[in-house]
This record gives sequence, structure tokens and C-alpha cells, in this order.
Amino acid sequence: MDCEKFDCVADSLYVHIPFCDAKCRYCGFYSEPIKNHNPQRLISAIIAELGQYDSVKSFRTIYIGGGSPSCLPTEQLLRLISEITSWHGLQARESTATMAVLPPKPEEFTIEVNPGQVNKDVLSRLHDCGVNRLSIGAQSFNPAELTFLGRRHSVADISRAVGAAKEAGFENIGVDLIFAIPGSTLESWKHSLHSAIDLGVQHISAYCLTYEEDTPLQKAVATGEVEPVDEETDRAMYETAIDELERAGFKQYEISNFARPGFECKHNLNYWANRSYIGVGPAAGSYWNGKRTLNIANIAKYIEMIEPRRAGNATAESEIPNHLQIACETAVLNLRRRCGIKLEEFKNRTGFDAMKLFTEPIGRYRELGLIEMTDGRLFLTRTALPIADSVLCDFSTV
Amino acid sequence: MSTELIRNFSIIAHIDHGKSTLADRIMEITGAVSDREKKDQLLDDMDIERERGITIKASAVTMNYEHAGKSYMLNLIDTPGHVDFHYEVSRALSACEGALLVVDASQGVQAQTVANAYLATSVGAELIGVINKVDLPSAQPEITAEEIEHVLGIKKQDCFRISAKTGVGVRELLDAVVTLLPPPPDKGNEPTAALVFDSICDDYRGVICYVRVFAGALTLKQKIRFMGAGRTHLVTELGKFTPKMSPVDRLSAGEVGYVIANVRQLSDVTVGDTITDDSSPAEKPLPGYVPPMQMVFSDFYPGNNTDYPNLRSAFEKLTLNDASFSFVPQNSPALGFGFRCGFLGLLHMEIVQERLERENDIDVVQTAPTVSYEIVTNDDQVKRIDSPSDLPDISHIKELREPFVRLEIITGTDAIGGIMKLAESRRCKLIKTDYLSQKRVMLEYRAPLAEIVYDFYDLLKGISHGYATMDYEFTDFEASDLVKINILVNRIPVDALSLIVHRSTAESRGRKMLVRLRKAIPRHQFEIPLQVAIGGKIVARETIKPFRKDVTAKLYGGDVTRKMKVLKRQKEGKKRMKNIGSVQIPQEAFMSILDTSD
Repeated sequence: MDCEKFDCVADSLYVHIPFCDAKCRYCGFYSEPIKNHNPQRLISAIIAELGQYDSVKSFRTIYIGGGSPSCLPTEQLLRLISEITSWHGLQARESTATMAVLPPKPEEFTIEVNPGQVNKDVLSRLHDCGVNRLSIGAQSFNPAELTFLGRRHSVADISRAVGAAKEAGFENIGVDLIFAIPGSTLESWKHSLHSAIDLGVQHISAYCLTYEEDTPLQKAVATGEVEPVDEETDRAMYETAIDELERAGFKQYEISNFARPGFECKHNLNYWANRSYIGVGPAAGSYWNGKRTLNIANIAKYIEMIEPRRAGNATAESEIPNHLQIACETAVLNLRRRCGIKLEEFKNRTGFDAMKLFTEPIGRYRELGLIEMTDGRLFLTRTALPIADSVLCDFSTV
Repeated sequence: MSTELIRNFSIIAHIDHGKSTLADRIMEITGAVSDREKKDQLLDDMDIERERGITIKASAVTMNYEHAGKSYMLNLIDTPGHVDFHYEVSRALSACEGALLVVDASQGVQAQTVANAYLATSVGAELIGVINKVDLPSAQPEITAEEIEHVLGIKKQDCFRISAKTGVGVRELLDAVVTLLPPPPDKGNEPTAALVFDSICDDYRGVICYVRVFAGALTLKQKIRFMGAGRTHLVTELGKFTPKMSPVDRLSAGEVGYVIANVRQLSDVTVGDTITDDSSPAEKPLPGYVPPMQMVFSDFYPGNNTDYPNLRSAFEKLTLNDASFSFVPQNSPALGFGFRCGFLGLLHMEIVQERLERENDIDVVQTAPTVSYEIVTNDDQVKRIDSPSDLPDISHIKELREPFVRLEIITGTDAIGGIMKLAESRRCKLIKTDYLSQKRVMLEYRAPLAEIVYDFYDLLKGISHGYATMDYEFTDFEASDLVKINILVNRIPVDALSLIVHRSTAESRGRKMLVRLRKAIPRHQFEIPLQVAIGGKIVARETIKPFRKDVTAKLYGGDVTRKMKVLKRQKEGKKRMKNIGSVQIPQEAFMSILDTSD
């Protein structure tokens, strides 16, 4: 299976840029309008936070997300990128002492961009700095749906951004789409899918609209102001995405992710393998040295915690999962991949035999045709995908 | 002390007619409760304590009262007020020579007024009519007096008009207790015979028996024998409730008090048993009570099978304080190992349920309550069946009998039409209509218990805007044309969802059950057919559609902890349900089948 070759080695770095031009009504991630803050100060703090990980020699994947990193002033974004890469190199040089070995380049370096915030010039400069993958927040190709979501870009901006990216030299471009937007139809969703396919990108994420807690959209649903798409249509949209994308040569490799062969997102595969990663920036999460931490979700407090000490931390929550928890987390995350749990690897990684640890749910779900096992892999069937949580919850504890 | 100076009495009343307030006022007047200790509704406080499992309930208080220059000993024996506990009322009354029948002047005679009066008469207790709450603006003492005379045969001019709240008329009433109620018969010289009319279990002292001495006397260190149980014990403590436990050396004929005699378990003492002297015993025991009959049964299964031993010990603990509750192991093909529990009535079941939840941390799945049936087998044996699942195939029995009760309803005349319609729909036969006054009427029915035990009372209250009251008493088992409704969930018959109902309503009940179950069982990952079978024939079907979408769209690094928690909660939710095959059935579903509303 495809993910075989990606989910093994080194570590990943995630940088959270909690800035937006304006908050979209559905977004549950931590971000604030950039106009209220000093981006330079935050970028300096993020760079300082990275300092605590001085034992890390290199990252195999880097992902700058948000928020929208593309709303940063270009010079700040470039400063961040060059600091990451040069810090990187410095570590490598120090540790190899006399030998002038160049730091290994990250295999994958992604930046999330908003189609309304980029042009060829900026994208070229990013590409020159070593960024080799773009994740473009297209969301929809229907103007009414973009308006509903509170997106500030237009449909035309999307193809303009993709075109500019290609011109800038990017050969690994992904777009994010959202389905089951109130007011959308199966037809409008197909239109978005085909528009994305026609752009000639390598990766498409198709997310069902989630009503995140404490978002304006969720409140609008609670008051009856907004009516969610009905369950049958939601499901049909999801299944259409799987069918249409597969037909266009995009292989589904995770519940919401599709890629042309070889273009699966290595950074995200690292999460689903439940391997370690470092997250920096406000609200970023890390899984490092067996500890899960979450940074404080507040820009001002984050800066306050980082600034006084070089290489300080801004941890707000932390947890050290025990062996069983790790096994359960690994199972849940692995099962989101179409390749599922690789039994032997699972055992090597967690110390548990998944077949024994989850005997009951595995037995039950195999009987119901929701889980299958072949070639030492245990995976959700196509039927199980739309109702994956109802299956995965039985792997969340033992 | 001569029995001439003793009066043993109870207060009986419909709920909220002022029984506890009157008891408090009497204790206050007689000085049993000093001002410092004076609290409103002392007896009720004790009830709460009992409910909490705290030991001492003052179900018998001994007081002194001066009248015409003589000092009388008054023993007030408490009675519970609810229909489920008839037998407790009757055993309290058995220990008395008389009773005060209290009626709220603003409410008039109610169903339990009548039921309690019948009980008192049946054990030979003298009644004094008491019209309470005469201070209320809405009081109608004259009409109430007429109702009392009409229904209970107590002359209206003989009724006492009082306000237990303000104390008006209570002294006169106490004088009447002394002058109108008979003293206990003087049998001090006969062999000891004391009736156990209640018992409780104290963590430290063991079982405390409440007794009324009818003949001879009980003394400290006496070797006594429980005549029914055949056990002998040594009396270690004797005493009276004043209302505090006050030890004495001797309880003589006519007196009421408590006995502690190294009895360890409540099950070792039968309420209604006679205590006598081991060396010179009474010839025969006192007339005991008919033991209370458990009329309502329900199965309790642990939500998690490993909790089975915990559930057992929780039930064992409950029986320590409640001898009228019983449980036996039960094995259901669908639900696994659990217990069949017997109760006096629905309220009793609710009390036990509540205590179980409050005092133990065990997830329990409880099946719908059912009544007890009688079958006559082909070889003419009569057997009790406490669960529809125990009902043998119809071809193996000659007759199926269900319990009938005498049901009394008292209502305003404006609600008669609605009530009669309800009663008729529940197969109740009208026996008698009796006008208490121009505006109020008493209806007496012969009713199948199964039809009135669950929601009848609520419906009655609804129809009468809360004014009608009812009471019922078991009379007998009678053959009825009954059938068993079987429910199949995902094609598996679920014994815990079976019901026994009258053939005439079986099909419509079955359909209703399916509608309820369809709403109560959550959607699953697959389609669930629900079927009703009557006599092996499927008569109705419903389908629970599967849910179509349940998946987290995004799960990346920072979300893991939070999303795992959400998934764990989702799994927890499943745990609170009972697995039948691959279908998870929540607790509400088992109860929902009894809901007959539209």
C-alpha cells in the first residue's frame, strides 16, 4: 500500500500561524485578525520556541498552517522560513563538527495558503526558500457557498492561485474542499469536485463541513437560522467524492484525503502513524518524547510565556499517554488510513497484538462487513467510511 | 400498671390530609417533644432518615396524658400513607384498639380514607372521625362530615373538627382518645404473647422488633421464643420510643415498645410472628397478618456483566431494611445474568430503584414491570408465573389467570364520563357507584391489576385535573383470555420485551410497542427490523433505519487528545445500553413498551 514507504522515519514540524484577515464562521481553529497584532513579534517568539528542540537535527516534513500563513507580511513569512531552515542547518553543522555536511532538506515542506492572498511573486520566493508543497484553501467553486462560509476569496482567485503556483515551480499542489455546506446540492458539490480536478492539482482534501463548538455557524444551527444538509445528501456527497476522485486518478488514502500516486501528504501520514511531531506557535500541539502538549491558545499570553526566556515553552495542557492509550490512539489514527493498521508494525510500535487487544470490536465489525483483514492489515471497508466514528470509538479504549 | 390507663391508637388518613402534623401536635401537647426538640413533622423527618438507611424510625411513640386526674399512657403507632403499603397499615392497626381517621376539610373523603377505614374495621379497631384543616378558607367541614357519615358510617355529629396546624380541637380529641377508645384487654396473668408489628435492622444492635404485648409481659434477660420461626433468643434490651429509644425493664400486657434480642438478620424475623416465653409459652400464636403479596415484578440486569456480584450485594443490602422486597437470580437468553425482583407495587419498585441508584454505582438495565400470573397446568397444578418469559406454551396449560383488584376511585362528578371511559378501556367492571355528596362520587370497580398498575393513576389524574384519587386491593386470580406478545429485535426474540396482555388488545398493543421501541432504540450502523409475534405469528413490523453519516472530517496532530475523548464518550454511551445480538438497547426502551399513550 502507498503509505508504506512514508510513515516510517524521522519527525515532523508544524508551525501554527494564528492570523487571519477575518475569521470564517465555520472555523474552529485558533486564529485572530492580524490587524490587532504585531506579526514580527509573534514570528520572533515562534522562532524562540523552536530553540527548545535543539536536539533535533532535522525534520523530514514541515508544515506551516493556520489561520492563514499567507496573510502574514511576506517578509515575516520568509523570515520564519529561513530561520527554520538555517536553524536547521546550524544544528547540523554543529553536530557534525568538522565535516561540512549540508543539512538534509525536508522531504516535504508545505504552506497553507488562501487563494486570495497569493501571487506569483510571493509563491516564487516561497519556492526558492525550499517550500515544495502548497495547500490551497479553495473550499468551494460556487460563489454562494464561499459567501456562506465567510470566505473572502472568489472562485476566480482559486484558479489564479493554482496557475501562479505552477508558474512559480510548484509540482505538488493540494486544494481543500468542503462539502455539505448548507444550501449546497449534490450537483453543486460535483461542480466543485470537477473544477478542482480540472485544475491539474496533485492532492485534494474533501472535508465534510463540521459544526465546531463555539463557532458562529454552530450557534446559527442551534437557533435554527441555518439548516444543515440532510444526512442522506451528506452521505451521497461523500460517496460521490470518493467515486469521482478515484475515477480521476486520485486515490483515497485517508477518510478525507485523496492524492495522485506518490503525492500523499507525508506530514499528515506522520500523524496517522501516531509518530512524534513538534508543533510551535499559539495553540499548536506536539507529541514529543512520549508527551502530548498543547500550546496556549492566546497570542498575547503565548508571547508573554516565550519572550523572557530563550527557548521557553508555552505549554497549556500536557499528557503522557500510557502504553494502552498509545495503542488505542495508534489504532484509531491508523484506521483512518485506507491501508489501516499494519499488524506487525503495530505490534512493534505499541507492544500489543491488535487482534488480541481489540478482539471484540474486530470480531463484531468483521461480521458486519465494516472491517476487513488481508495481508496482515486491518482496515475499514468502504461501507464503514461514512460511519467511521461509530466503529473507531470501539478502539478508543479497551 | 392497669391496662385501664393505656390507649393504643393509630392515625390514618389519605396522603397530605394532615396525619404527620396531627402526630406532632399530639406529641407536643403530651410533652413527648420538648420545645427545644420541637420540629415540624417529626415523624416525617424520621421517614426521611429511614429512607436514607439510618436506623431508627419512630413508628411507635409512647406518651403520657393527664385526663380527669388520671395519667394515661398513649401509644401512637405510625402508619404509612401509600396504597402499596396496605399491609403495613393493617399490621400497625392490629396493634391498636382504635384509630383516628383524619379527613382534610377542604378535600373531603378520598380513596385512601376509605381504604384505611376498611382496614381498621377489618381488624376490629374503633374509629374516631376527625375533620382537619377547619381553619382553611376553603374548608367545608359540614360537607366533609356528611361524606364521612355517608361512606364510613360515622355519625357526622360525632366527628371532631380540628386544626392540627393551629392546635384547635386537638386537646378535645386527646380526651376522646381516652374516653371513647377502649383500653387493651387485661391479660397480664396469661402466658406471654407479643405481636411483632414491625422490625428494622440496625448496623450496631442487630434487629430491633416493634412489639405490642397482648398477654403476659416481656422482661429483660427473658428467654423468648418466636413461635412462627421456632427460634429462641435472650432479651438484651427492652424499651419504648418517647420518641427517643428509652430502655425499660419490662413491657406489660397492653403496652407497645421494642425488643432487642440478638437477632442478626431481618430475614430471621417475620413481621406478624408472636413472641412468647420459652419456658411457659402461649398455647397458640396471635392471629398474624397475611404476609404482604408481591404483585409487581421486574428484572434487573447489570449493564456490565462483571457487575453481577456487585448488584447481588447491593440487593442483599436493600433487603436488610426492606423485608417486603425480594430478588432471585434470573438468566435471560437475551440479557444474560440478572435478578428478578418482587415488589408490593409500583411505588415500592420506584423506591427500591432510587435507593439502588443512590447507594450504588452500578449501571442497571431494568425491564418493564409486570404483574404475577397464575397458570393451571394440564395435570391441574396451580403455579405462579412472575415473568412473561416463564409462561409455558399455551398448549401445555389449561388456564391462565391474572390478578384482579377492587379498585375505588373518588372523583368530582364532572370527571365521571372520562374516568368511566378510561376504566372501560382497561377492562374494569363497574361494581358500584356511590354519591358521597352532590358533587362527588365513589366508583368501585373490579379491575385487572395489569391494566391499572402502570400508568392508570397518571391518566386518572389527568382526566380529573388532579382531583380524583384511587386505591386498590388485591382480591383474587381469575382466568382471562390472555396472550403473550413477543418482540423480535433484528430477528432475535427478546424475552425481556415480552408482555402478557388480553387477546382483544394484543395486536394494537404490539403495534404501539413497536412504535415506542423504534423511537427508543437509537439508529445503528445497520438496519434493524422490529417485529411483533403473537402466538408464533408475526403481526406487525417496523424498521429502524441505520444512521448514514458519522465520521470526523479532520483528525490531525493537535486534535488527537480531544478527538480521542469524544470517541471515548461515544463508546461510553454504548456501554450504558444492553447488547442483544449486535443491537444495543437503552434502558428507556425496556420501559417504553408499557407506554400506551398515543
